[in-house]
Amino acid sequence: MTEPGFVLPTLTLVALATWLPAVAFALIMIFLRPHPRQAAGLSIAAVSVSLLSAVWLLIRHWHLSTPIHFTVRWVASGDLTIPFGFLLDPVSLLMLTVVAVICFLVQVYSLGYMAGDPGFWRYYAFMSLFAWAMTSLTVSLTLIQLYIFWELVGLASYLLIGFWYEKFSASEARKKAFVMTRFGDVAFFLGLLLLLIHFGNLDIMELNGPTPAERMSPLLLTVSSLLIFGGIIGKSAQFPLLTWLPDAMEGPTPVSALLHSATMVAAGVYLFARLLPLFSHSTTAMAVFLAIGTISMVAASTMAMVSRDIKRVWAYSTISQLGYMIMGLAAGGFFAGVFHLTTHAGFKALLFLCSGVFIHHFGTNDMVEIGRHGGRSLKIPMVCMIIGAAALAGLPPLSGFFSKELILGVLADRPNPIWVATALLGVFLTAYYTFRLIFVILFPRTVDKVKVQHGEDNHADRTSDRLMGWPLIILSAVTLLLGFFEAPLEHFLARGLAAVEPAGGHTWVLFSSLGLAAIALALSWFEFGRRGADQVGFVERIPWLYDFFAERWYIDRFYRFALDRFVYRGIAALCAQNDQKVIDGSIDGLSRGTVNTGRRIAFLHTGMIQYRLLIIFVAMVLLGMFFIF
Amino acid sequence: MTLYTILFYLLAVVIVIATVLAITRRSMVHAVIYLVVSFFGSALLFYLFGAPLLAALEVIIYAGAIMVLFLFIIMMLRDVNLLEKMFPLSQWAPAAVMAVIYLVVGTVLILTDPGARAPLIGAVATPRDFGRFVFENHWLTIEIVSLLLLIALVGALYLGKLSRKSAAPKSEGNP
Amino acid sequence: MIVSFGHVLVLSGLLFLLGTVCAVTRRNLIMILLGVEIMLNAATIAFVGAALRWHDMEGQVFVLFIFAVAAAEVSVGLALIIGVYRRTGSVDPSNFNLLK
Repeated sequence: MTEPGFVLPTLTLVALATWLPAVAFALIMIFLRPHPRQAAGLSIAAVSVSLLSAVWLLIRHWHLSTPIHFTVRWVASGDLTIPFGFLLDPVSLLMLTVVAVICFLVQVYSLGYMAGDPGFWRYYAFMSLFAWAMTSLTVSLTLIQLYIFWELVGLASYLLIGFWYEKFSASEARKKAFVMTRFGDVAFFLGLLLLLIHFGNLDIMELNGPTPAERMSPLLLTVSSLLIFGGIIGKSAQFPLLTWLPDAMEGPTPVSALLHSATMVAAGVYLFARLLPLFSHSTTAMAVFLAIGTISMVAASTMAMVSRDIKRVWAYSTISQLGYMIMGLAAGGFFAGVFHLTTHAGFKALLFLCSGVFIHHFGTNDMVEIGRHGGRSLKIPMVCMIIGAAALAGLPPLSGFFSKELILGVLADRPNPIWVATALLGVFLTAYYTFRLIFVILFPRTVDKVKVQHGEDNHADRTSDRLMGWPLIILSAVTLLLGFFEAPLEHFLARGLAAVEPAGGHTWVLFSSLGLAAIALALSWFEFGRRGADQVGFVERIPWLYDFFAERWYIDRFYRFALDRFVYRGIAALCAQNDQKVIDGSIDGLSRGTVNTGRRIAFLHTGMIQYRLLIIFVAMVLLGMFFIF
Repeated sequence: MTLYTILFYLLAVVIVIATVLAITRRSMVHAVIYLVVSFFGSALLFYLFGAPLLAALEVIIYAGAIMVLFLFIIMMLRDVNLLEKMFPLSQWAPAAVMAVIYLVVGTVLILTDPGARAPLIGAVATPRDFGRFVFENHWLTIEIVSLLLLIALVGALYLGKLSRKSAAPKSEGNP
Repeated sequence: MIVSFGHVLVLSGLLFLLGTVCAVTRRNLIMILLGVEIMLNAATIAFVGAALRWHDMEGQVFVLFIFAVAAAEVSVGLALIIGVYRRTGSVDPSNFNLLK
């Protein structure tokens, strides 16, 4: 990185990878409103160049030893300077590539999925915005820069979740997503301020160095870590703020795929992985993170067990997988978390895109309906979905298996066995709800052959099918193969940060997780798959448990209650009272006082000029006397 | 006590009496005539004080132009003289009291001030000297004043036009 | 000498008071304007006396300007009076209190 010949091409590539989507966004918004096809073309061209640059960067710096960073002074005001630049280390390179790949595939897929939508150009504009924000987030140099793009990611997801803004539920969902992530972001920002005040620098590399521990007291470190983690909770939909993610399913399905796999929610985990050395200074904070990850993982899995909406099931599974990642990272398994993030991006995008095909075809989100209408007749999506689901359930030899085993191995290293136990429970639940969905679609109880108007439909439908099919196949291949690249990736990542993985050797974890997954598979086969099964899960047989899960552990209820009780009735009433009594009262009093004063002195004002003359005369006489004597 | 002193007191008495008569006349024509007398007295006073040009201008502008303008206007307004009502005494009284206070205090102040006892030595500013002085030292002010007069001319014309237009539908055939 | 300067000032002040009385007490716009003229005239007398007192022509120059201002004021003021008279048929100032 010292010689310019080495830095300059890298810089160009990074700039291409991150800023091209922004250019595309601006061009689409300004010029390409009436040309949706060109808008899509431009957006895809930009993201594919971005993808190529990202891949090239990854290859070019495969043997990276020290992080590359490039800085310019962005704002300089007095002695305050805000640097702006790129930071390339193994994590960001990997993440950049993942983001670019997913963005590219989703945009290609959307050509088919969104064909004919009136907001086609808008969709691609927002997609470009999303791609720009997320790629820039990954290569951010400072936390301030990261925060800016973090918010842009939030904005883009807000726009895309409510893409069909005519739907009331969609606009509600976007508001919910925005507000709930904002809760977290406020905490994040406060954490940033705390760091800025007490550490004086938000450079990620310096924060990850040994200096923060020397310069800040442990309490401050813990507090700021927890605050920053608040932002991660909001963004990655972890335990207290998890309810926005299922509602975010109101957006188009490709958006959900993007949101869940590589961009919005992954941003939180990415930030966690980024700041892991900083966080690991505080054991208290790490324990809290571990607990939160665990709770979210279990809670979301149980919610997924009772949902019939196919997208919601995947949404809950995202939350639980993110919980896994956070557990892994919080337990110190840097590579385990990042690797699971990578594999999860692949198979979760695959799952969503497959469901998108079903939803596109049958016009419903209900898995029972899809099964009844003959979901199994769509061969490619069905196979791909089974691959993705198996990866999600952690079955070998798919990518999910490897990454999940890594996390379990890290958790098994913890002295307290409760973490690995709950993680194993999570494995069981995940396998159960995943295959519940698969079996419900694959083996419908009653098949009414409603004629799906797809066979004799026109040519356009088939091209759109093909457009949507290719990304599925690519992602399936990635899901199948990525697991075998564990060793080189670990080698690559471990060089960047000196987080040494403890040697695993917990074979019992491996076998027990496989056994649990197999049991869950069998259970769901017994309940949903076998001939003559009544397709009622064991949870649904216990009404109170079912209610508890279906109502999402009453978290939403609690929020609604809190909103009603405190915000609407408390704060709003206070505001109303303030408005009526203080503001209205003061203005009323003022106006009444003015009127009364006016009445009182109105008799002085007769409208006669001569009185005024007289008063002037008298006043001047008196003034003269005053000045003379 | 010189002749000039006698002349001054004479003129002062004439001016004051004429002014008092002017402001107490009900008929405005009479008031204006008395005021012309008062202004003639002022002109003579100016002459006495060695300002012959100003005396001439006083006669020409004040007694001539302005008062004639007043006369014209009064003649244009028909029979308003008799309509004038006086103010009630309750409003008169404070004004009168203030006037008396002003008069007494002012006179006392002026006459007790040592600077006011300074005698006025006769001197004459001939029109030539005066004109030279004005145009040497105050040419810019003269220009500004001429601009003011122009504006007043335009304003008066405009107001006259405006009032005729707005009054036209109401008063039939009035001048 | 002619007379002491104080006497000129007393004369001028008396005239000013008369002008003020005229402007304040007469219920007639024209008479108010006349009162203003009297006040201006009183001022000119004071200025001419002062010019003689200090033997300085500045005072006389000021009188010249007062003449100009008086002429302008009278022409515009009388035009206004004509205007309001045409509109209301009255020159009583108590009638003009629409802004009250």
